[in-house]
Amino acid sequence: MSAGDAPDLGKAIVEAVREASAEARLVGADEVVERLRARGFGECLDTEPEVDPCRRVEALLSGLPEIASLASLSGRAVYHDPALLSRTYARILDRKGVTALLMAEEIRANSRDYPRPVPVELFEAPPFDLAPEAIEAAFKAMAASEEFRDIAFTTTSQGTVYLFSSLHLERDYATFLAEQDETFSMNP
Amino acid sequence: MIRDVPSEWIERAAQASGLEAELSRRGFLKLSVCALSGLALLGLGDAFGANAPLVILDNAKGVILADPTRCVGCQRCELACTEFNDGRAQPSLSRIKIARAVNFGPGGPTGGDAMHGDWGDGLIVQGVCRQCPHPVPCATACPQNAIKDDPQTGARVVDPAACVGCRLCQRACPWDMLSFDEQAGVATKCFLCHGRPKCVEACPAAALRYVPWRDLTRDGGMLRSGLSAPSPENAKACLDCHVPAGKTAVK
Amino acid sequence: MAASRGGFAGKVLRVDLSTGKIGVQDTIERYEAVLGGAGLGYRVLWDEVPAGTGPFDAANKLVFAAGALVGTSVPCNGRTTITTIFPTCWPRPLVGSGHMGGHFAAKLKYAGYDALIVEGKADRPVWLMIRDAKVEIRDAGHLWGSGIRRTTLELSQEMGPDCVVAAIGQAGESQAPMGMVINSVSHSAGGVGGVMGAKNLKAVAVQGSGAVRIAGDKAEWEKLVKFHLSILGANNQHVVPSFPTPQAEYYNPASRWVGQPGRRWGAAKPPVELTGDIHDLSRIVYRTNSAAFFLGEEAWKYTVRGNGCTACPIRCHTMLRVPSVTVKYGIPDMAQNTCIALQFGRMFFKGLMAGKGGEAAIEACMVGMHLADDMGVWSNYGQLQRDLRKLYEGGYLKARLGSKEYASIPWDKYDRNDPAFLLDLVPRIANRQGELGDVLSRGTGAIFDTWSIPESDWADDHSTTYWKMGHPKHHANEDDGQCGVIINTQYNRDAQCHSHTNFVRNGLPLAVQKKLATDIWGSPDALDAPGDYTPANPYKARRAKWSLMRKELHDALGVCNWMGPWVASPRWERGYAGDDSLESKFLSLATGRPMDREELDRAGERIFTLHRALTIRDMGQVDMRAGHDTVPPWVFEDAKGAAPFTKGTIRMDRADIGRAMDFFYEAMGWDTATGAPGKARYAALGLADVGEGLAAAGLVPQDGK
Ligand code: SF4
Ligand code: SF4
Ligand code: SF4
Repeated sequence: MSAGDAPDLGKAIVEAVREASAEARLVGADEVVERLRARGFGECLDTEPEVDPCRRVEALLSGLPEIASLASLSGRAVYHDPALLSRTYARILDRKGVTALLMAEEIRANSRDYPRPVPVELFEAPPFDLAPEAIEAAFKAMAASEEFRDIAFTTTSQGTVYLFSSLHLERDYATFLAEQDETFSMNP
Repeated sequence: MIRDVPSEWIERAAQASGLEAELSRRGFLKLSVCALSGLALLGLGDAFGANAPLVILDNAKGVILADPTRCVGCQRCELACTEFNDGRAQPSLSRIKIARAVNFGPGGPTGGDAMHGDWGDGLIVQGVCRQCPHPVPCATACPQNAIKDDPQTGARVVDPAACVGCRLCQRACPWDMLSFDEQAGVATKCFLCHGRPKCVEACPAAALRYVPWRDLTRDGGMLRSGLSAPSPENAKACLDCHVPAGKTAVK
Repeated sequence: MAASRGGFAGKVLRVDLSTGKIGVQDTIERYEAVLGGAGLGYRVLWDEVPAGTGPFDAANKLVFAAGALVGTSVPCNGRTTITTIFPTCWPRPLVGSGHMGGHFAAKLKYAGYDALIVEGKADRPVWLMIRDAKVEIRDAGHLWGSGIRRTTLELSQEMGPDCVVAAIGQAGESQAPMGMVINSVSHSAGGVGGVMGAKNLKAVAVQGSGAVRIAGDKAEWEKLVKFHLSILGANNQHVVPSFPTPQAEYYNPASRWVGQPGRRWGAAKPPVELTGDIHDLSRIVYRTNSAAFFLGEEAWKYTVRGNGCTACPIRCHTMLRVPSVTVKYGIPDMAQNTCIALQFGRMFFKGLMAGKGGEAAIEACMVGMHLADDMGVWSNYGQLQRDLRKLYEGGYLKARLGSKEYASIPWDKYDRNDPAFLLDLVPRIANRQGELGDVLSRGTGAIFDTWSIPESDWADDHSTTYWKMGHPKHHANEDDGQCGVIINTQYNRDAQCHSHTNFVRNGLPLAVQKKLATDIWGSPDALDAPGDYTPANPYKARRAKWSLMRKELHDALGVCNWMGPWVASPRWERGYAGDDSLESKFLSLATGRPMDREELDRAGERIFTLHRALTIRDMGQVDMRAGHDTVPPWVFEDAKGAAPFTKGTIRMDRADIGRAMDFFYEAMGWDTATGAPGKARYAALGLADVGEGLAAAGLVPQDGK
């Protein structure tokens, strides 16, 4: 494999990222390099010893239209193929482990885009899989922090808790939407 | 096709495939996959006379495997089989059979607890061709030797040019897997879509799979007792291998 | 030439039960302009059933019609539309249709018929046997009094296991307007069971071995079918899952796409785990689980599998096995259904209405399905249940029912939310036993008539969701503002239209919906976010018209308007667009006669206009606007007093709805003063004879175009 073989390397990079995306995993450039080595591209990566292969892969990645990069919470760039691993899901993966932020950002996106409040049970199911205790702890953390001031909840007449962001939804409207959501099963 | 084959060839094939003991003990040739590949290995095919009736078919390469516990009775497989192959939607022509089992299952409207299908316990038992090993009931029954193996997949296929529409094959299959194309006046059966089964691709429940052939004819019961009587010429050929008990084996 | 046309079976079967005469007609020759379904039904009623005919008169006809796409592998095509003078329409019966899925429509096509027209009245109970070209009227004396399950079993024993039986139960036999006909266990058409009963027709059993020919290129056909599969979502064409998946950019907790990795069909033997990529086309059936959607998580463990109509990969009729009900209520542990019919039992009980309901609601549903789907009792889209609740809770029953009868009803069970209450109530309705049973068996209008209760008691009360003419709203302003209101004014029963709601509830973000709306209806203002309504505009009216035309088209083609139209999709790379021309592409390939979207939509409009003409004729009144297209008062109110067009209310404004109706009538080319088509409009749609007939009767607008 020659150094000039960039198209081949490019293709291999796309494949490596796709492979990870298909496994619902985000990858950094270092992991892409590892995957490339496993594919026998080691020699090709090391042709210019003065260039860190990670930098080289990063540069190539930025020129690949099929691959998206995401500035991860850790500060580094991670990559995915949005056709296999959506932006939404990528963000959820990235925020896993930072429960308050994960929930808050999900609540905000729902309030902003659809728009709608979300039932708290959403976070108990996959891919969030949060235990009720973890959710409660996250609420406490949110209540104590300025950063999450916009996160609010409304309780329906049937007692279900829905979450919304006051940045994007007025309380009355959120309450209406929550009631409506809950009664969909009676409005087939 | 066995008729003109010298018996020592058969014996050698049996030896090659380790079936010698079976042969001498029961006077009965059990043609498993290895036996047949043994025959093929010996170039036995060359010995078959051009006009000799076709009796032994090599095993198929693949077979459709159906899982009743996933089937939702949508009949998309039946429709894919006929629409995409024949340009008409016609479950009665389909080579995979769902419609007959949707309501009550293979046992019919018996009532009681054993009933399957939508009106029973919900189980839909798909009807699929086993691509039977020798002796292939439908092929054996065909007086025209119109049922042959597809060179690509080994599927037992009806040659419409040779089929005269006598329907004997339909009576022969123990699983009632042949269809009759009333429009063309010929029988038709699963031909594995030349290796890319449309039904498998069409199934929205992943209830069908195309897998390497194995002998499914011994699994479960038969739907009915097939009426597979070989034609007189074939019957003679059969006797080359299938020797009445107590008589001299093979040789 | 009729004979060379694909798609259509080619013949319409006519059976006169009075004379025993059986005949066939050429479909293309006679009915091509109206395609099939309700279109064919309306045409038969227009041509052959005089104004003023009652639903149970021998002169009424019952038209079971499939459509040109029925029996093919076009996804979601298994629909039969049954058109007749509809018995629950109040205060006077008018044209209406019941719709059923299942396997009846496809079998009818394979037998060689696009439709079955039943005329007259048999002098004794009969059933109709159709085996391809062989059609016979046979004696049903031994079946009369039997439930639908037994009837189906016995007829299948007589005809063979793969026939499809559409039968009535005790409700239909007793000519209950609320009777329904059922085929394939759970696929019902409401309101028409009593009409069958009045004709002494217990059942129609069909066996068909023929083909539906695809006239176009089969490879192209295969490609189009696969494309359609690729733009399918879950039930109601909800195109995003209810949970985030790696493959999806969007999700919506309220989506009917509930099948998620980790769930399982718990009552399958052995259970089926939902594994792999739920977006994959080999897993479409696992997306939808109606029981889990309507009744909650608990339903998964009782799920045997999905079931549904011929060729439909969605499988919205979820099959449940709940062993406890056999012990507790002495009923079979298996049942299956979707939507409202799934919830037939639960909806009677106020205490089981909250949220998804869980275990208690599931048991009530099992009891309800057992009774309703065997005796053939219709819910009128839940109005039966809401009526009973209001009658009981509002004290109407105590005041009006004789004390002896009142005391004979196990209200203690009702108060305890005990599903055993249904074992008493439903047979009363099916057998029209006592005053309560009889009134409920006749529909909501009978409540007003019999007990001198003013209609306004219902129409003022939002909780009844009563709309007009004895029927409830069906996806109105709560889902879709003015668009929903317009649609709900148009029919003589509940609207049964899903084109609009399937789009607004598809789960995509508002911006994406508005982008698609711009492409389809010309403006992002064609729809609002729910409960954030803006004033009426011509684009909303255009979308309302489109919704109605497509509903009629779907019925006429035999495809499911609970799933279509497919103008949105789960596909990111398509910008979530579906295909607005899908129906015409399918029809063109199937028949071999190219027809573009505009031409096909015009056929939908023709059919819909025929419905309008029949309504005008039978009401003997041209002013539809004031006399027919009415909106109940609750639509213009808000419990908390919120003003129209404020966020968080579905309250509409009277003057604005007036404008919305203007826009709609204009879009239809109808007279805005009366909401009636003029002679020229009829003529432009190929209905000149209809326009002339109405003009002769003085039933076109005065200054009508
Ligand atoms: S006998 Fe029946 S199952 Fe066996 S190959 Fe022939 S058709 Fe298939
Ligand atoms: S493999 Fe092909 S021929 Fe055989 S049943 Fe399936 S679709 Fe039909
Ligand atoms: S396509 Fe699959 S699920 Fe549907 S009937 Fe065939 S085997 Fe069953």
